[in-house]
Amino acid sequence: MTLLSIEDLKVHFPVRTGRFGGAKGLVKAVDGVSLSLAERETLAVVGESGCGKSTTGNAVLGLAPVTAGRILFEGRDMARFDEAERKAAWREMQVVFQDPVSALNPRQSIARSIAEPLVIHGHPSAEIPGRVDELMELVGLNPDQRNRRPGALSGGQRQRVVIARALALSPKLVICDEPVSALDVSIQSQILNLLMRLQEELGLAYLFIAHDLSVVRHIADRVAVMYLGIVVEEGPASKVFGDPQHPYTEALLSAIPVPDPALKGRRQRIRLEGDLPSPLDPPPGCPFVTRCPIAEPACREARPALVDVDEGHRVRCRVRAPEGAANS
Amino acid sequence: MTLLSVSDLTIEAGPPGDRLRLVDGVSLSVKAGETVALVGESGSGKSLTALSILGLLGEGLTPTAGRILFDGRDLATLAPEELRRLRGADLAMIFQEPVSSLNPLVTVGDQVAESLIVHGRASGAEARERAVEMLKRVGIPEPARRARQLPTELSGGMCQRVMIAAALISRPRLLIADEPTTALDVTIQAQILDLLAELGAEAGTAILLITHDMGVVAETADRVCVMYGGRVVEEAAAVPLFAAPRHPYTGMLLRTIPRLDQPPKRALYSIAGNVPSPRDWPEGCRFRTRCTRADAACTALPPLDAAGEGDRRAACFHPLEGPQ
Repeated sequence: MTLLSIEDLKVHFPVRTGRFGGAKGLVKAVDGVSLSLAERETLAVVGESGCGKSTTGNAVLGLAPVTAGRILFEGRDMARFDEAERKAAWREMQVVFQDPVSALNPRQSIARSIAEPLVIHGHPSAEIPGRVDELMELVGLNPDQRNRRPGALSGGQRQRVVIARALALSPKLVICDEPVSALDVSIQSQILNLLMRLQEELGLAYLFIAHDLSVVRHIADRVAVMYLGIVVEEGPASKVFGDPQHPYTEALLSAIPVPDPALKGRRQRIRLEGDLPSPLDPPPGCPFVTRCPIAEPACREARPALVDVDEGHRVRCRVRAPEGAANS
Repeated sequence: MTLLSVSDLTIEAGPPGDRLRLVDGVSLSVKAGETVALVGESGSGKSLTALSILGLLGEGLTPTAGRILFDGRDLATLAPEELRRLRGADLAMIFQEPVSSLNPLVTVGDQVAESLIVHGRASGAEARERAVEMLKRVGIPEPARRARQLPTELSGGMCQRVMIAAALISRPRLLIADEPTTALDVTIQAQILDLLAELGAEAGTAILLITHDMGVVAETADRVCVMYGGRVVEEAAAVPLFAAPRHPYTGMLLRTIPRLDQPPKRALYSIAGNVPSPRDWPEGCRFRTRCTRADAACTALPPLDAAGEGDRRAACFHPLEGPQ
């Protein structure tokens, strides 16, 4: 069953661009994104900085203003929720951010941090300490550490605290925004394994926002690749990684350093020229046109449509997936 | 020819009497023209080691032992003026955060030209001209126009290229690059790594690359020093190190990296425990509390040449054998 569906979401931010705050511009951080996430599924949203992946997650959480489009949770439009419905939805939907240091109050014991959502949502106070111990064990923390402050914990342990807090209200959906990026390499895999185990045990769905494709490869069922506010490719992880169709996805995959020095210099890497265009001044037509190795003049004219190339695999590229040639 | 040699470097923090050791007897060397990667996780001491080479350790940090020789000269015995002459001319450094490393009030062109002017290698006008050329070399479009702009008008990837241009314009003999691509996106990272390799080879610049990313190491380094808990635990040429690591930490670190060619949705190999903070380093081998091969012998500190052959060294009493 579809748990979350994002329909043609737009998040535009007005900005002052002149040196003295004069001229006004519009940053189209998210500009027409449609995604859906089923129960117990992991959908990864990937892309480089400024592509709009975090803003998409923030819009779902109500932390970014929705300019246009709809966000449906369990089939119901979140914009039409009344206060009670919104509060109920927040129980079902939690978030884990990148930086566990700033996500935790340094003066509070970790038990208090984990208990906070339970207190806010009126959990019987006699049951809270037991529930906190249960949650700490669930994420691999020793309940004897409950009175510690975050400062006495390592980065990996702090992220476990953040995850325990996110699970306190037994949510159905956890939005993970770069959950392992700030962690040491030897700790990353511990946390990824924890997230995968929790998904199995608790039937969670993850909206997994990340820039590291090797991490995403391990955890995602489906992947959406974003570039300058739009989805350029979306499909099952096996298709997007195994048979990428959009030239940006190809470049992104080939740019990942491979930990094998024997391949040094022998690997054919797609070199993208130039930088990401400014989101204030995106090129007309396909946003990737300024760096695309296969662009044609017509790509500058209109934004290509997201075309089905295979079951559930959609690509927005008029060279690789011309409109009308769809596999319907 | 050995260009840089660091021997038995020890760095401590805090007031005398209550000192915390952060770097503990590190030795490494870089030959002319070679790229050496210094790899480690947070708290391993890799960045402090690099900063101390340039004499840039922050307040409260003291090198309490060891010697750093650059081109045969002991850096500790140089007068501040001599050291300043060396920095920027023969020895250059680039940092992880390009935006905060550039002066926000000085144009990009002037910052690139600065080392030429300061070291008297070119007049103002000539230096500015060469700065524009250098900006072009590092792949900045419209270099003449960009040279007149401030760093805030450029993207992060472009600022990193500006820093590389500023570091390489005087054709230094050694470039110390501290996580030069960590703050960048992968497609930009790929460009910057190619650029460093290209320009380094062209000017014969040796590179000491500080990183936590084994992928970046594999793509750039000739030789690798792996640090853990303030010490070098393994040193080897890149190809044999990746193919057959001797130190269990190196082996486990390599297995823990998620790779695109592994089967998805399976539990990843992981190292138990946490990276210990310098306050909690165990007695003896710093890795022994997380190591699957540790025994009673490991409560003594293994020297770096405890295991190895030829150019390889590993600080382990129970090293791994053969390909892993």
